[in-house]
Amino acid sequence: MNETKREIKKRLRNLQSLPTLPAIVGKLTQLIGDERATAHQVAALIEKDQVLTGKVLKMVNSAFYGFPRRISTVSNAIVLLGFNVIRTLVLTASIFESMQATDLSLWEHSLGTAAAAGLLADKLELPNPEEVTTAGLLHDLGKVVLRTEFPKLYKEVATKVKEEKTYFRAAEQEILGLDHGEIGRILANQWNLPERLVEPIAYHHEVEKARKFKKEAAIVHFADIMTRAMGYGSGGDPWVPALNDKAWKLLRLKEKDLQEIIPIFDERLLELRFFTLEMQNELKK
Amino acid sequence: MQRIPIEMAKAGMILAKDVTDEAGRVLCGPETELTTELIEKFKAMGVKFVSVKGHPIDFPWERPYEEEIKLLEARFAKVADDPRLISLKKIIADYLKEKNA
Repeated sequence: MNETKREIKKRLRNLQSLPTLPAIVGKLTQLIGDERATAHQVAALIEKDQVLTGKVLKMVNSAFYGFPRRISTVSNAIVLLGFNVIRTLVLTASIFESMQATDLSLWEHSLGTAAAAGLLADKLELPNPEEVTTAGLLHDLGKVVLRTEFPKLYKEVATKVKEEKTYFRAAEQEILGLDHGEIGRILANQWNLPERLVEPIAYHHEVEKARKFKKEAAIVHFADIMTRAMGYGSGGDPWVPALNDKAWKLLRLKEKDLQEIIPIFDERLLELRFFTLEMQNELKK
Repeated sequence: MQRIPIEMAKAGMILAKDVTDEAGRVLCGPETELTTELIEKFKAMGVKFVSVKGHPIDFPWERPYEEEIKLLEARFAKVADDPRLISLKKIIADYLKEKNA
């Protein structure tokens, strides 16, 4: 193992207490882990924090989940989206907030990928489309952490992308010895995120490595491609990545499917632009 | 056709698509001319976006069609030998063309 890789892994293991992690997460994890816990109890805990409640409701009502009706209470959100999604949103609310402030284009890329993942999951009739959407939202978690925790290395990677016109991931592998999928996997495991979120985060570029949630990983892979293809936001470089053969075989998307999805996706992207503007105005307050 | 937030809608614009409320019920069909009263009613019913005819508003992220196509080509530069992705590119290009027409 090269020295940089070893160093990154070591630092990640000690990152348990990310400065941005809200204190409520520990309690929430405990409560959700308790099989007897009800949606009402979990909602009551989240609702104690007004700011957090606002953030979670804002996310669940945004265009990437695509619910036609407004979700106005946390209990409702839990019933509709499930414990996993709500816990993940609580866990990541502050991370995404810092992402909006530091890297708006990556935030947009994440929102776009979430929306595309949701549309694909619906089309392919997956049982939990909202979880796949959330996996899309988090798929580049590794890049967020790379930027906030290893700014010098991040800069090196970004410079290489610019100078050598290479993919961000290729530059990561060369400079760090590992990529954002691996970084995301380590972190997501540390936070005890469910496997159906961890696998797409870890393997959205190497779908063949997914064990239990291959289709979810394949969807996030293609959602990433769709978002880059539409030119919405930026995942660190401006190019559509190579298509993973395994993902393509799993998805079995036909031309007709894509012809249906693209216009709807474009509408969602427009709505997301205004969502992002709104969120940014609130940050400035 | 252009999709715009309800706050930017003005009397005199013509709807290009159905307007639906939060429950998915159709409130108004295409070809309807918007009035101030209608816009207020939509807002009150939770409508966030409407699709109108023509292209009444220039958003800062929009580019002329020719430039959009050039940028699309550039984004696919590294995967130009994959027929599956070239097919995706064509679907997007066709969509952009239709949107521009």
